[in-house]
Amino acid sequence: MTTAPLRPQLTRGGDRMIAGVCAGLARHLGWPVQMIRAGMVVAAFAGGAGVAFYAWLWIMVPTADESARRNARPPASPIAPAVSAPVQSPDAQGNTAIAGEPWRFRLAGMPYGKEILLGVGLLLAAGILVARLLGLDVPLGTLIPVAAILGGAAIAWMQLDETRRTGIMDKAKANQAGGWARLAAGLALVVAGVLVMVSGSGSWQQTWLALLASVAVLGGVALVLLPWGLKFWRDLETEREGRVRATERAEIAAHLHDSVLQTLALIQRRAGNEQDVIRLARAQERELRGWLYRNAERDEGQLSDALQAAAAEVEDALGQPVDVVSVGDSAMTGRLEALVMAAREAMLNAARHGGGPVSVYLEATGGAAEIFVKDRGPGFDPAAIPADRLGVRESIIGRMRRHGGTAVIVSNPDGTEVRLSLPLAPDTAAPAPPSTTTPPEPARPTPAGTTTKDTP
Amino acid sequence: MTSQPDSPVPAGAPVPATRVVIVDDHAIFRSGLKADLDAGIAVVGEAATVEEAVRVIGEALPDVVLLDVHLPGGTGGGGRDVLAGCAALLGTTRFLALSVSDAAEDVVSVIRAGARGYVTKSISGAEISNAVRRVAGGDAVFSPRLAGFVLDAFGTSPADIADDELDRLSARELEVMRLIARGYSYKEVAKELFISIKTVETHVSAVLRKLQLSSRHELTRWAAERRLL
Repeated sequence: MTTAPLRPQLTRGGDRMIAGVCAGLARHLGWPVQMIRAGMVVAAFAGGAGVAFYAWLWIMVPTADESARRNARPPASPIAPAVSAPVQSPDAQGNTAIAGEPWRFRLAGMPYGKEILLGVGLLLAAGILVARLLGLDVPLGTLIPVAAILGGAAIAWMQLDETRRTGIMDKAKANQAGGWARLAAGLALVVAGVLVMVSGSGSWQQTWLALLASVAVLGGVALVLLPWGLKFWRDLETEREGRVRATERAEIAAHLHDSVLQTLALIQRRAGNEQDVIRLARAQERELRGWLYRNAERDEGQLSDALQAAAAEVEDALGQPVDVVSVGDSAMTGRLEALVMAAREAMLNAARHGGGPVSVYLEATGGAAEIFVKDRGPGFDPAAIPADRLGVRESIIGRMRRHGGTAVIVSNPDGTEVRLSLPLAPDTAAPAPPSTTTPPEPARPTPAGTTTKDTP
Repeated sequence: MTSQPDSPVPAGAPVPATRVVIVDDHAIFRSGLKADLDAGIAVVGEAATVEEAVRVIGEALPDVVLLDVHLPGGTGGGGRDVLAGCAALLGTTRFLALSVSDAAEDVVSVIRAGARGYVTKSISGAEISNAVRRVAGGDAVFSPRLAGFVLDAFGTSPADIADDELDRLSARELEVMRLIARGYSYKEVAKELFISIKTVETHVSAVLRKLQLSSRHELTRWAAERRLL
């Protein structure tokens, strides 16, 4: 059976009658299911050996999907194992390696397995000796239930860390809760069974003693298992941490490959076209920045995100850098959508006519969201825009007015600035002062625009 | 380390050439920056690591250090380690932080360590030359993004009289910061607010001082949220 590699793994499931043990065994050994089942039944009549064997396999052999989950744990990336290896403790590593093999090898690889068994045995012996010394007659009728309790507890524990292990790995809390419930139920059953058995055959005093003994033994088991359990838990933690780091690393590698390396390849192929190279580099820089400096706790889809996206679009379309600085933020609403659209139009104009970098500033604090779009182009006269040019008149000024906001365009030979403002609360939106929404007065002479539009 | 004493002084700038040390671990960037700086600025030293930077700055005693935020060596703090290593020189040598990063923690931590300004590496040669001269003159250099961080950190409502002077920006300082964040140059800010450029510089320096010294609760919370300090 040690030459397992060619054989399918021993797992339960398939066409199950009770727990799929026979089916699993048949698959593993390559024998017909009927033969295994018949063998089991025959063995069951031989002093119940078949039943015990069946029960044992039921407990110790994982189901097909449990096993699949365990085997799926190693990260898929080829670089990940190299990263996670130094973080894992040897014990944890040993466990990972062994987890996929049949249960008996796993049991052997369990940390301190032998020591635990030895400790439990010694504790039992010590208990018996102490009882003898105290002059108590320890009947076999008490010892057997105690052994039963021990066995039950051990089984429950082993079952528990199976479920806990996979539970932790998959972050499925339900498995953990299930494990605890199973433990409690197992213990309750064992203790109750023993009590009934003992009280049925003996006096109340004996029952009391049996209860005491079982509680003492359970305490002893807990004492012995606690340090081991803690160590096991810590190993799991380090293993998990290593895995998280490895996953992170793999994610970074994948991201760099998909984005930066691809862009670098593109840039090499287009080295002759300066405009394309700048555009590619700029888009890649923006993407990388967004990825590096994103704040995981921050809500997505905020006003600043929408503005950034609009700026990126303009940048890609026209090849002019658009720098967005934002202070404060707000959840997106339909009205803010209009604000962003107006800002986008302003950015498009600035990039198209400004002929240089565009500065965008968003301030969404207090009761209003304000966006300023500034370029350093030659400027223009907003009043002199032809009536058929809807860009400024409709997409910026008209749109802002319809949504209860204001748009002011200030232009002089040093550049143009579009100032958009929109109250954040919808109820204050209705009465928009019409004076500020009118297209601004003559623009060439600067004084008209130099009034700051600070909200009171 | 090339020493160029008194390189040709440009017309209109009667001051001697500003002596600059460039600290950056990328040789390509150092040489590119050297070529970009105008004639009024003499590069008197270069360094690529924290230790080298502290040594070169101590020997050359430049007017301005152009300091990359991310540097190998030291205790891993990059530009902050250089500032800590040159603490004794902070009165005479001024530091202008230069970085590709525009993450809040990089910007604010290097300013709080003593840098007089922060510009991104995509800045043009003329702009960086101006920034160097401004820093050499004792003023602060704020990029729109740094102004945005300041507004974010200090809040956008002006100071009450009861507030600690360091903890909030005055109404005028807020106006200046807002305009800088909107992409205005100091000259444009001055024109917009009908004040002199000197006054704008004074306001900006005051904001820089507050950013460096303020221990206000909200600033620390703000920084903690962005994992600074």
